[in-house]
Amino acid sequence: MTAVIRIVEEFLSSWQYFQEMYLAGWALAVLLPLVGVMVVARDQIFLGAAVAEASTLGVAVGLWLASAGPLAGEAWGESHAFLAGLAVLFSVLAALVASGTSRWGAAEAVTGWVFLAAGSLAVLVISHSPHGMEEVHRLVLSSIIGSSLGEVLVFAALALAVAAGAACCRRRILLILTDQEMASALGVRVRAWNLGLSCLLGLTVGLSLRASGLLYTFGCLVLPGLAARNLCRSALSVFAVAPAVGLATSAVAFVLAHHLDQPPGQMAVALLCGVAALAAGWRRVFPRA
Amino acid sequence: MSVRGAAAGGWTADEGLALAARGLALGYGRRRVLEGVSLEVRRGAFWCLVGPNGSGKSTLLRAVLGVIDPLDGDLWIAPDLASRRRVGFVPQRCDLKPTLPMTVRELVLLGLTGTGAAGRESRADVSWALERVGLAAVARRDYWSLSGGQRQRALVARGLARRPTLLILDEPTNGLDLAAEESILELVAALNRDRGLTILFVTHAIALAARFATHVALFGGGRLLAGPRDEVLRGGHLREAYGVDVEVVLGGAGQPVVRIGPPPGAREAPGKPAGCP
Repeated sequence: MTAVIRIVEEFLSSWQYFQEMYLAGWALAVLLPLVGVMVVARDQIFLGAAVAEASTLGVAVGLWLASAGPLAGEAWGESHAFLAGLAVLFSVLAALVASGTSRWGAAEAVTGWVFLAAGSLAVLVISHSPHGMEEVHRLVLSSIIGSSLGEVLVFAALALAVAAGAACCRRRILLILTDQEMASALGVRVRAWNLGLSCLLGLTVGLSLRASGLLYTFGCLVLPGLAARNLCRSALSVFAVAPAVGLATSAVAFVLAHHLDQPPGQMAVALLCGVAALAAGWRRVFPRA
Repeated sequence: MSVRGAAAGGWTADEGLALAARGLALGYGRRRVLEGVSLEVRRGAFWCLVGPNGSGKSTLLRAVLGVIDPLDGDLWIAPDLASRRRVGFVPQRCDLKPTLPMTVRELVLLGLTGTGAAGRESRADVSWALERVGLAAVARRDYWSLSGGQRQRALVARGLARRPTLLILDEPTNGLDLAAEESILELVAALNRDRGLTILFVTHAIALAARFATHVALFGGGRLLAGPRDEVLRGGHLREAYGVDVEVVLGGAGQPVVRIGPPPGAREAPGKPAGCP
């Protein structure tokens, strides 16, 4: 017990230096699982990775435009806002393409195509720019260190808005996620909702990727949802439990990472994998009745 | 109110009418699936929609539900049904995936989407629907732990949660064993008989249509023959729709039995050894 208190005290002593990083990571650990439940509910786990990879391509294209492309020499070309905007734009486009093809039963193939195309092009576009390659490596490896207070506020506001929206429209969202034919029959505008949910996925992943990298974004997007669906008895409770799992695990992970001098993003994803595996084992031992 | 078409004026005065179509053409984009559809569905009738795969049964349901618009002709839906507040729908069960945990009560509650019902009112509607289908005792159980027949009953309860006056069922017995299929049909027939629900029931089982329906809509070749059951389920009509000799006869227990013979002309086609393509 004393050891735990000492570890937490060590962590708190670092608060003044890394508070933006911690807060941004925790806000994302709430926001991403909320959106990720929708990905998990549709059994489109890999879509999260493809959208995150497309977001990386967006950043790579931005860096190319600013270094060798038509925006070379423009100061704003390398600005955070410009790169974040391109990251969001590419991830929204990827989410729309992948979800738009799901009607023809080709969603998985298109998702794989998006992932591979974005992954290869992201390197090819900036392979001659040492700075660009370094940035892409940072995004792929995940590092939350560069977060700012502005990003913390954006992530927190978005998490609150998504939670409020999900609470207000829970019945409608659940019906769209589980039975689109029934939703259409009851007068729900399924196409508009699908478009909106795809844009939300793209926006969230795009913003998160720029701040935390691919691994942390993808991990927080799907792992808490996968754990929650095994822990819960009802669909609506998954929406509450998934962000709670994400936040609690990230909090523990950041403390542990600080104590062991390990990268926090990787630590959080490793712990989330453990939680998801334990939840799956628990459900296997205690099946629902 | 509602329609889509010019002839609505002729139907609005008839309060016993739930929906009607005249010269209706339906399809997707430029592809026409059904043409010249004319029928009048009166309140309290039990309609079975039968016909081969791809003959337009579900397309007609989609038009009634407002999911697709008519390409041509008139489709009139009674004012109390046009808003869909009092229309229940039961889809094929294979459209659902076990990607999220869901209690039976939670599933049935989804049937109230768009009605504005909340709190005590929605709980009462869900309990009522579960009692109707005999699943009140398993309301808190996981939907995916139920048997196939129970799951389909839960989907019927979801359709009933809106306390509909028109219940639309799109092949709800697909993939069920005979006992479960029978049980669903008995349930729907009881709702029609006891509560006066108007039923539109898509099925492939002609024998069940012959047993339970008051009216039949027979689809085939892009056309629709609609009317009282005994007038429609005749050998000639069925042969035209299915392309094989089909006959509905009474079996030993007085139950309708479907007899299927070889395709017309097959007996007159000599010279082909068995097993040749």
